[in-house]
Amino acid sequence: MGGPLDEPDGNWWDNPVNRRESIWLGIAGAWSLAIFGWMSGFTRFGDQNPIGQTYEVDPDAYQQRVAAYKEEADETEEGRLLPPGDSVYVGGRRFDWDGLPVVLEAGREYDIHLGAYDVQHGFSVRPEENLSKQINLQVFPGNEWVVPMTFEEPGTYRVICNEFCGRGHNSMSGHFVVEEA
Amino acid sequence: MKGAIKHLFGNEYDSDGFRTCSITGLEVHESVENHVKLFALTAVVAMAIGGAFAITVAGTRWELLSLLPEDGYYTHLSMHAWNILIFWMVFMEIAVLYVGGPMVLGRRLPLTKVAKAGWVIMVAGAVGVNYSIWTATESGGEAPLLTAYVPLDIPWLFYATAVLFLLGATVAALPFFVTIWKEKRGAPNKTLPLVVFGAFITSIIAVEAILGGIAAFGYALIWRLGIIESVNAGLYRQLYWIVGHGTQQINLLAMITVWYFLTHVVGGAVVASEKVSRSAFILYLFFINLGAAHHLMVDPGLSAGWRIFNTSYAFYGAAFASMIHAFAIPAGLEAGRRQRGLGGGLFGWLTSAPWKSPVFSSTIFSIILFGFVGGITGVLMGQMQLNMTWHNTYATVGHFHGTVALGTTLAFWGLLFFAIKTMFRRDYASGVLASAIPYLYAATMGLAVLMMMYIGILYGVPRRISSVVENVPGSEFSLSAAEPLFFILGPATLLAVLTGALFVLVAVGSLLFGDRLGDGDDGGLLPEKGLRTDGGSVHAIEMRGTFTLCLIFLATFVALYALNWFLLVQVWQIGA
Repeated sequence: MGGPLDEPDGNWWDNPVNRRESIWLGIAGAWSLAIFGWMSGFTRFGDQNPIGQTYEVDPDAYQQRVAAYKEEADETEEGRLLPPGDSVYVGGRRFDWDGLPVVLEAGREYDIHLGAYDVQHGFSVRPEENLSKQINLQVFPGNEWVVPMTFEEPGTYRVICNEFCGRGHNSMSGHFVVEEA
Repeated sequence: MKGAIKHLFGNEYDSDGFRTCSITGLEVHESVENHVKLFALTAVVAMAIGGAFAITVAGTRWELLSLLPEDGYYTHLSMHAWNILIFWMVFMEIAVLYVGGPMVLGRRLPLTKVAKAGWVIMVAGAVGVNYSIWTATESGGEAPLLTAYVPLDIPWLFYATAVLFLLGATVAALPFFVTIWKEKRGAPNKTLPLVVFGAFITSIIAVEAILGGIAAFGYALIWRLGIIESVNAGLYRQLYWIVGHGTQQINLLAMITVWYFLTHVVGGAVVASEKVSRSAFILYLFFINLGAAHHLMVDPGLSAGWRIFNTSYAFYGAAFASMIHAFAIPAGLEAGRRQRGLGGGLFGWLTSAPWKSPVFSSTIFSIILFGFVGGITGVLMGQMQLNMTWHNTYATVGHFHGTVALGTTLAFWGLLFFAIKTMFRRDYASGVLASAIPYLYAATMGLAVLMMMYIGILYGVPRRISSVVENVPGSEFSLSAAEPLFFILGPATLLAVLTGALFVLVAVGSLLFGDRLGDGDDGGLLPEKGLRTDGGSVHAIEMRGTFTLCLIFLATFVALYALNWFLLVQVWQIGA
């Protein structure tokens, strides 16, 4: 009796539940609510949230926007862009990151504008010196995503594409440099 | 050839086409048994094909070997993904539905022609998908990978045959639905056995997934055919993940149903509480498919509220359900074995279990590894903020190898080991090898999965790329710090694939050369002291062993949760 292949006997709904199973139900329920609460609360008190304004934009129009931004930006001797304001534009295209490399000031909040010209790409960033500090954001044509970021630590940050974007995806990389203000 | 096929499908049935299973005691009709065999054998073929491609995929990712150039790598990766994640799983799941429906209920399989038509359409779809993947780059397009994200240049034939396969699966599932309908029409007030109930919920989840898949691939197809001019990448992603993750939820539910089934028939498990286990299935029904949104956590254009609600399966309703099963299944085993007086102390019920039986060990490794490795990481990576550190990294690959390659594959191997004796009525060609396979696979694949996660989270190594560790072409930068771990991952993966090959060898060898089991021979599968206990109240039996195991599970969960968040808050400030 009591097997999962049998029709349960009688009024099975009213059969008592083992005490330890009941305790486990309480623990599991509390843990479920706790991790929901933490994730939800972190959007209010946390500093790492993948949240930013999104605008629908035609891929060609976004490419022109990035071109206009590059036009306005100064360039360092090494050929890196110096953003004219707090906005930094990055455009994913097969197989490079338009708008990179760029030089940013440590401790300053930038609006990082992310978009793509052709297919989907993955904006995967890490400081060269510490690979475990890495984050990944999806970009695709038709959307401009404005995600604020503040880099406290100076150094070279490497960007690679981590969404398959066609043969040649391997070589899609770029970088930016964070310098002390 | 004809003789060999007849031999596979040749059990003796009474004049009504039924026989009594010497292990489960079920009245099994020929029509059900033969169709289960058909779908299960097809699944094994898909697994063998997909598994063979695992060699080239793993041998490329281990850049010491660099087996394939970038060009071929994506094609091989697509073949591996579709044959394992979709075809191996879905063919097996149709078999699971036929077991969980008509076989357990002791009915014929209705609409056998529809079942066969479903099989033919599924095979045609699967062959078409394989063909279009294999020829995609020759015709100037791109290999689809699992996701076939628009607007990549992917052949229209791929989308068309993917839709065909999904339609075939729907057709093949119809006889199951008709079975349930007939059963309930005949006795509306009878309660379905738990295994049937689980299979029924699985089938509803499957329909939801399939509808999403038809919508996604159909949308991409009409765009590829030029019927619509443009395609929305974000919309495709939302539609795609209904099937992309939905299929994996089918795996989960089918696997849990198999867990209840196999722990009972070879371990002597009882149902700890019908009410609790069924409620957990109901929670899945309502909430689990919401979790598909966890693939969209770092997408633009979706509000934080939408993402948080969906990725948490509405306040973690489905994670709660999984934690319920995590207790209920071992508790059923503990209670059933204690009722029989099998093993005292805290864990005697477990240590005295039939560990040499590959059916039992596959099932238990599946439960443990799915929970500790696949399940915990699924919740972690599904948290919106943590997803930034997991998304599209090798750690993601680790997660779904923890769920599918470890959890579901082991559970289905357990079911196949069971079917070899119960349905094909053959002894294992090699009992020693059969016993060793679950251990070898759990160890090697388990190690591989852990390495994938370390490599992804701690070194940010991406998935779906043929070269990034030794060098990023055209850049002086590389992720070479991760290289030592590949010296563990590479060999572990290749050994896991070899174990898979060994499984196929033993399974096929048993079917062809295994000793025929006589009438009434249980093949050593039945638990000590029989399948059924003398009765008594299950709730009053000690479940402290299970409780202890669950507390260890929770401690691991909490520790990994804290560790992941600790890593995240080290990162620079992101987000509004």
